Amino acid sequence: MNTIPIIIDEKKLEVDPGKTILEVCRENEIEILTMCHLKGVLDIGACRLCLVEIEGINKLLSACTTKVAANMIIRTNTDRIKKYQRITTELFFAERNHVCAVCVANGKCELQDLGYKVGLDHIRYPHLFPQCEVDTSHPWYVMDHNRCIMCTRCVRVCNEVEGAHNWDVMNRGHQVRVISDFNSPWGESVTCTSCGKCLHACPTGAIWPKAIVQGQLQKNPGMINELVEKRKMKL
Amino acid sequence: MNRQDLKTIIYAEKKKEETNKYKHKICVCCGAGCISSGSEEVMKKLQEEIKTRGLENEVEVIPTGCMGPCNQGPLMKFLPEYNIYQKVDCSNISAIVQSQLIEKKPIEDLLLFADSREKPFIDARDDPYFKKQLKIALKNCGHINPERIEDYLVHNGYLALDKVLFEMSPEEVIAEVKQSRIRGRGGAGYPAGLKWETVYKYVNDQKYVICNGDEGDPGAFMDRSVLEGNPHRVLEGMAIAGYAIGANKGYAYIRGEYPLAIKRFELAIKQAKKLGLLGNNILGTTFSFDVEVRIGAGAFVCGEETALIASIEGKRGTPRPRPPFPAESGLWGKPTLINNVETFAAISPIINNGGEWYSEIGTPKSAGTKVFALAGKINYAGLIEVPMGTTLREIVFDIGGGIQNGEDFKAAQTGGPSGGCIPAEHLDVKMDYESLVSLGSIMGSGGLIIMDKSSDMVDVARFFMEFCMDESCGKCVPCRVGTRMMHDLLQKICENKATQIDLDRLEELAVYVKETSLCGLGGSAPNPLLSTLRHFRQEYENRIVQHD
Repeated sequence: MNTIPIIIDEKKLEVDPGKTILEVCRENEIEILTMCHLKGVLDIGACRLCLVEIEGINKLLSACTTKVAANMIIRTNTDRIKKYQRITTELFFAERNHVCAVCVANGKCELQDLGYKVGLDHIRYPHLFPQCEVDTSHPWYVMDHNRCIMCTRCVRVCNEVEGAHNWDVMNRGHQVRVISDFNSPWGESVTCTSCGKCLHACPTGAIWPKAIVQGQLQKNPGMINELVEKRKMKL
Repeated sequence: MNRQDLKTIIYAEKKKEETNKYKHKICVCCGAGCISSGSEEVMKKLQEEIKTRGLENEVEVIPTGCMGPCNQGPLMKFLPEYNIYQKVDCSNISAIVQSQLIEKKPIEDLLLFADSREKPFIDARDDPYFKKQLKIALKNCGHINPERIEDYLVHNGYLALDKVLFEMSPEEVIAEVKQSRIRGRGGAGYPAGLKWETVYKYVNDQKYVICNGDEGDPGAFMDRSVLEGNPHRVLEGMAIAGYAIGANKGYAYIRGEYPLAIKRFELAIKQAKKLGLLGNNILGTTFSFDVEVRIGAGAFVCGEETALIASIEGKRGTPRPRPPFPAESGLWGKPTLINNVETFAAISPIINNGGEWYSEIGTPKSAGTKVFALAGKINYAGLIEVPMGTTLREIVFDIGGGIQNGEDFKAAQTGGPSGGCIPAEHLDVKMDYESLVSLGSIMGSGGLIIMDKSSDMVDVARFFMEFCMDESCGKCVPCRVGTRMMHDLLQKICENKATQIDLDRLEELAVYVKETSLCGLGGSAPNPLLSTLRHFRQEYENRIVQHD
């Protein structure tokens, strides 16, 4: 296949056209922060952490949804981008109730990792402390909306990989919630196959198996893409 | 129906109009504004009155679309005298009919009148309100019965469609639209001809035309009035667009809060189909075009094109990142042309009179006319259409009849929740795309809210931020959480509890949300805040808690 030349952070690269900026960066060990991206499901550009500057385009574009084009000059680590990544992280933490010390995902949480990466030592915005539901109706799993960051990775994995479409989103703005079926308790779902993929897709401690305590959560988000690839091979 | 049949119908209808047996025509405004103030009862009462007096062979009473000064409704217009009565009440209809039709003189006290003027204009066309306007998109609104296709045909309706089908190639149609230099009237002002050409160039068996009628800005009702007052004009524009880009299917996405617009538009589709002006083999040609109405369910964000497309597809109405733009991959992944109601309404005059004619109206960079919805503390609140480049002063004081109760003008808010405020020192700004942007506001879809000194600018910013916060779809973080944070900070300032640090954070957040949001809703949500900060910073600072 013909390759095209692009420059990312002063680094000259020859890349395959048709790939996204994010894919190219990951292949070349250029760090791009993401939250809503999950390899194996469609990208939606919702978390805005992967925004990059592209010369000649006055808008910041999400690396996960923008395809590379010949002679693109991309910058991923300017002061402006770093500043915005920090604000986004702060807003994630301020939006719902993220208390790492008592969270099942402590130490295994992508949001926590993000906090470390952007050097978050305090949050400048008031915590909103919404009263969110904890749905324990499913026999094996728990959905804790307090920890949900609305990345919708569970929604996409359930729809695109499992094909069940148990999860969806309701309401608007800061009132949005991930819902099971038409907003009934998860345990009463008629579509959920209890496959547990959403649990692996979830970056935080929002979906987890019962019978574990703080810090015991084991996740393998990489298994989603492995599954997708294996299916392509028709194994 | 073929071409000859159309001409025959138009000829017959024109003949009927010329040999009109009626001496008088009374138009009663039946736009949603006037209906809500009782124009349907007025119409009924008027018809009874005409009948009791035995005048039904002399006087024709027709319901029309919006006439303009909505806050003075219900409005009733007598032709050919052009006497317009305002705030018509069932109780004074008898007196009006007696005076106007029997004694042949108007009742001056009941005529359309702005408080700022000395006396009403007998012939309403002398009123600067009408004199300074130039109606292209609204041309037939208020003159014809929107529920009769014949009324539209008499006023050269569907002649432009006839012209493009028989005399022009799609390339020529696009060239004409490009030459007109019309820019998208939905708000962003992207050159319409360029958009048409882009969609035309994508090769695909299936393409779509979408008419965006999901008008959601508070205080704006341009699209509603066009759809209610002259639905066929929009339909014709869509069909012409379909021919130009090679689409055989169109969707009109109209917000659910506009039941009358939906009813009239659906009726228009039915009538046009019956006459073969829509559907298969239009006017006997090989061109087929069908239009379906899709009703919005009350989400402001569905006015954003990618969210609108998702909504038509039956999905949750949330925007997706662009590129790819709908021109390349739109409805069901097919090349899609999406334009605003007002843009489509301007197409048939452009085809009939030529692109050059249209391009000479307005300013060099913003051609043509723009419909504005005047609201707020102004004497004539309602719908107007003026050439681009008309100054704000002319709109407020000449056309709008000045500020209510003789107060001083403080600011005008343009572009709704995506726009900004223009202070009194910029009253002479020309209303065109570039000038408004240079003042930190935008043209937007045409909402124009006039404020006097009773308006608190911080509260105005808070109101619009609350609107954006509630209407954010919740998909991307900056818009979902950022608008909430900005709203809370603005609320704190309104309550005189904020410090300088809060104000600094608010400004930082505003720029962040503007630059990082996924779609135009979030991207423009900080505009009312930023523009009030720019022009009325003192009002913010006065409320900041000072620490010694």
